[in-house]
Amino acid sequence: MRNYFDRQLGTLHVELIKMGSLCEEAITLSTQALNEKDRTLREKVFLTDSEIDQKEREIEDLCMRLLLQQQPVAGDLRTVSAAMKMISDMERIGDQAADIAELSRYIVPYESKNKKTLLKMAEAAVHMVTESVNAFVKNDQDLAQKVINDDDAVDQLFEDVKKELMNQIQAGEVDAGLSLDLLMVAKYLERIADHAVNIAEWVIYSITGVHISNEHRFL
Amino acid sequence: MTRKIFRYILFVSSVVLAVGIALTMVVQYHYFGDQLEEELEREASYLEVVVKNQGVEGLKEVADNSERITLIDAEGAVLYDNRADESSMENHADREEFVEAKSLGRGKAVRQSETMAERTIYFAIRLESGEILRVSSTQYNILALIGGMVQPVVIVLVIMIILAAVFADKVAARIVEPINKLDLEHPEDNDNSYEEITPLLTKIHKQQRQIGQQLAEAVHRQEEFQVITDNMQEGLLVIGRQTELLSCNRSALKLLGVKEAEEKDSVLALNRSEPFRKSVEAVLSGKHESIMMQIQDRVCSVIVNPVFQDGKVTGGVLLLLDVTEKMERERLRREFTANVSHELKTPLTSIQGYAEIMKEGIVASADVPKFSEKIFEEAGRMITLVEDILKISRLDEGCLPYEDEDTDIYECVENVFAHLQSSAQRKNVELSLTGEHCHIMTKKTIFEEMIYNLCDNGIKYNREGGKLSVSIDETAEKIEVKVEDTGIGIPAGDLEKIFERFYRVDKSHSREIGGTGLGLSIVKHAAACLNMNVDVTSQEGTGSVFKILIKK
Repeated sequence: MRNYFDRQLGTLHVELIKMGSLCEEAITLSTQALNEKDRTLREKVFLTDSEIDQKEREIEDLCMRLLLQQQPVAGDLRTVSAAMKMISDMERIGDQAADIAELSRYIVPYESKNKKTLLKMAEAAVHMVTESVNAFVKNDQDLAQKVINDDDAVDQLFEDVKKELMNQIQAGEVDAGLSLDLLMVAKYLERIADHAVNIAEWVIYSITGVHISNEHRFL
Repeated sequence: MTRKIFRYILFVSSVVLAVGIALTMVVQYHYFGDQLEEELEREASYLEVVVKNQGVEGLKEVADNSERITLIDAEGAVLYDNRADESSMENHADREEFVEAKSLGRGKAVRQSETMAERTIYFAIRLESGEILRVSSTQYNILALIGGMVQPVVIVLVIMIILAAVFADKVAARIVEPINKLDLEHPEDNDNSYEEITPLLTKIHKQQRQIGQQLAEAVHRQEEFQVITDNMQEGLLVIGRQTELLSCNRSALKLLGVKEAEEKDSVLALNRSEPFRKSVEAVLSGKHESIMMQIQDRVCSVIVNPVFQDGKVTGGVLLLLDVTEKMERERLRREFTANVSHELKTPLTSIQGYAEIMKEGIVASADVPKFSEKIFEEAGRMITLVEDILKISRLDEGCLPYEDEDTDIYECVENVFAHLQSSAQRKNVELSLTGEHCHIMTKKTIFEEMIYNLCDNGIKYNREGGKLSVSIDETAEKIEVKVEDTGIGIPAGDLEKIFERFYRVDKSHSREIGGTGLGLSIVKHAAACLNMNVDVTSQEGTGSVFKILIKK
């Protein structure tokens, strides 16, 4: 019985790795889409997003079955519940990557000074998602903590983008529609970083059993 | 075993005990029966005397409560009975003992009572008067006897069985003790007290040796496999159905950029990039696949093979090959081919152009020699190019027709200078040679070619009125040939690339300067071939220094 349960937990782990890597892929592709005039990139992001959604349903199903049939306790229960929370964050990352890809079609044709900061921000967000998935894969608490700390940098970059845009709008240097789109992308990236932080928190929870309450980060 | 022996001993002793008691009782019963009869007979004889002397009255006096005494007349009517009222008793004429006594003088009979619980023994004796005197006694029959003795017998039995149990326990422990004490690790060394188990010990010893050998062999094979896979350049990963890692070698971890991998962990924890994930999925669905993937700055070719057992996929084998260098070589080859085609095409196009103009008759006859000269020049350029390519490919192949010979470096440089005299004069470059006559054993033609190319470059890329100096320095360990020019120099960023084929620092002026772009590439290949080192330092605008280091 335990053997079967262990196998199911193993499958859960593998599926989560797959979903995590799909997220990395989605956000990496959408960042590329911001910078390159390649329509197939956008298409790929949408495809990956629907794959992520599919994975979420599968993993949810698996978790439910584990909970109902095996009634795990202690560490195992933490693993399963952390998994259930993580997949919703991962799913949001996928959605936001798709949103960025959607916006990229309005942004790519124009040159903008803000793109550089935006790409820097995207790079930081991608890095955070990768590291949070790494922390999960390796069960590495320190790495998870590092991801949580990295969030401040992304928040700062968001502020930078916002200020740049404000100044440009005031000076009338930039198209209003474009700057709104850029701001949206920045916001999405900031949210993606937050989701990465959530994942990292759940990793810590599944290791220690203590969830770092960080509610203000959601706002 | 102890338990079993204990049980058997207990069982056997209990059975023996029970049967013993039963047999004793039967034997005793019969013995007592016989005794009783004898007693009756004696009493009858005694009573006979009593009756004879004192008559019935005497009998009455004697009669006690122990035995029943009956006096019967010759007709069978009861005259006296000490236990019952004689008047109520029936005629005894047909009783067995009566009949027997009447005819034989003595008679005996045994009758079971109706309840079967007791039996009565009768003994009759005929008196002189013709009357019959009968004495009878009742004895419990065997069942009744047993019934009566149950309690003491059971108590005895229980006590005996408890004793037997204690005894059996001790005995069983004693029997098993030597077996428990056997040293199974060294079965042959036991001084065992049971020779029945000697064959068993021998067999265990043999099997132990066999197992030991097989284990050693298995370990050896495993180590062999480990050594082979660990020394493989290719990465090898074996995974199970759940993508769990079953085995991997060091190269695989190195290629995947992982320090260590835990067994039974998912292989996706090592790398989860899309192509890798897809190939793992493919292999577990039973497909062979070969993909390329980028891991950090290296390119890996991943070949996956599913493992089938009973028609089902039970895992997969992943082979990782580092193809970074191969890809790089491929790229260089493609570039080389493209460059060669381009370089060959340029003079050909010129030749074709001039030839076409001449064919159309547009050229004035006075200009024909000029055009022909152009065609001649371009053809010459092509020949030089083809020669250079041949040289370099020959150096590449390593199949040189040249043999080592005694070479004087100083003479070599002089020869080169002689060849380059005219072009140096044209550019007004001063040639100078310092140093001594050093002799080495090398392939002279190739060495001269090297010097030629370096000096040729030194003149071509020199400024008007510049200087090209070659110096030869011999020390105990090495000879250094320095070719120094006062030319345009090489930008620091290009220093690494100048030895590449067709690489030009200044592409826009390459045609004016001439050359094929293969010169330094030939130098590099030649140096590698002759086991020498070429070193370059340069300052843009002031000149370059090429050093050939020859180890002695």
